[in-house]
Amino acid sequence: MDRRYPRIRFQKKLDELKNKVDKMGQATLKAYREAFSTFIDYDAELVKNVLEINKKVHGMGYQIEHDAMSIIAAEQPVAGDLRFIEASIKVSAHLKRITGLAANIAEVARHVKDEELPERPMFDLQRMADIVDGMVSKSLAAFLAKNMNVARELHRDDDKVDDLFDHALKAITKSMFQDKESISYLIYLLFLARFLERIADRAENIGDRTIFMITCEKRDHTNGKILGK
Amino acid sequence: MEYRIEVENLNVYFDELHILKDVSLKIPKNAVTSLIGPSGCGKSTFIRTLNRMNDLISTFKLEGNVLLDGGDIYNPKVDVVDLRKKVGMVFQKPNPFPKSIFDNVAYGLRVHGINDEDILDQKVEESLKSAALWDEVENILEKSAMGLSGGQQQRLCIARTIAVEPEVILMDEPCSALDPISTTKIEDLIHKLKNDFTIIIVTHNMQQATRVSKHTAFFLNGEIVESGLTNRIFIEPEDKRTEDYITGRFG
Repeated sequence: MDRRYPRIRFQKKLDELKNKVDKMGQATLKAYREAFSTFIDYDAELVKNVLEINKKVHGMGYQIEHDAMSIIAAEQPVAGDLRFIEASIKVSAHLKRITGLAANIAEVARHVKDEELPERPMFDLQRMADIVDGMVSKSLAAFLAKNMNVARELHRDDDKVDDLFDHALKAITKSMFQDKESISYLIYLLFLARFLERIADRAENIGDRTIFMITCEKRDHTNGKILGK
Repeated sequence: MEYRIEVENLNVYFDELHILKDVSLKIPKNAVTSLIGPSGCGKSTFIRTLNRMNDLISTFKLEGNVLLDGGDIYNPKVDVVDLRKKVGMVFQKPNPFPKSIFDNVAYGLRVHGINDEDILDQKVEESLKSAALWDEVENILEKSAMGLSGGQQQRLCIARTIAVEPEVILMDEPCSALDPISTTKIEDLIHKLKNDFTIIIVTHNMQQATRVSKHTAFFLNGEIVESGLTNRIFIEPEDKRTEDYITGRFG
């Protein structure tokens, strides 16, 4: 007894799935960084590139779903393996959405490319973007390393993003009142703020999914209560 | 929760070999409980302890309590034939008697003194219907059971077991010699039978355990490492050894 059979082929399939999520995450992060960068300093080539990555990431997402279903059908995984596979499907869906939001940022960038943007909301948006960048990296790292502590940090980060979102909205509307002519392009700063806030939510979702994968518990983090058990 | 069987601090020895070590387990009434674990971990010894099949082995020694409906089945006053009527068993390999289909099912009833032909006819039909075999054999009841397929033979053995109206049915890998379709039929049957009987099934098929049972106990080296709701054990096992076994990391 106690002889160990490591299920080499099965383990290899799980490692491959993990690598694919990692690659998809890196592509998502690249799309996000390039999208924000082109919003600040417009570059038509970069916009094209982000849209290309978005398309590629969609394909990667379907491949992950396909691989996950094949593993379930062939290996009938249980326990931690099953939870990892289920989480991979969910995480890839969040990554797909984050890349889609990055593509939205890139698409609206051309509307502000020749405009003088007001300092105050841009300061808040830049800070938001930095935190969101960290959140996307952290969420991916937490999932791949099954790290609960890093996953939990995402709740605090998301609160910071929400506060900055409120500040940015106030600053943008203030600028709109000061110069009504600017409304036609400042509206796109509102879109940017909204897209960043949505990306932060998705990164937080990946953190929650990571915690669920590890503990099999979903908590309402406003009151700490366990849901759905 | 109501329990049909309660096993307390059970130790089983064959000569010097300590096979079951301080095993305690409660088996809920009218539910299916799966016993899983690698070969040689004591699962079969455990279920054979529940209807005193191990008594037939001269070197068998037991300590602890095995209670059926609160009564100790190892009490010297217990009639073993009567106990085995209450705790029936289905084996890994279908083992019909070399008799007709009818006589196989009627066998236990006759042993227990039922010889009235009308009653026998009625009980045989009821049992074969319960075992989901009646439609396939109603016109060939007098033919030899040995001519049935493996899956049919196993359902016949189940019909033979339930004919004497046991309280508990022990199943020792009942599908391991069957093809997938016959396996599905037996699993559907287990789902149906749990309404009337308490079922304990030993299985090496993890997916079968998740499909048929509400409760699962994981045996390793003669001990129960973990037991509880099947869903919990297969999604979030508490013990690393359980996780390693059910995910196929050792076995």
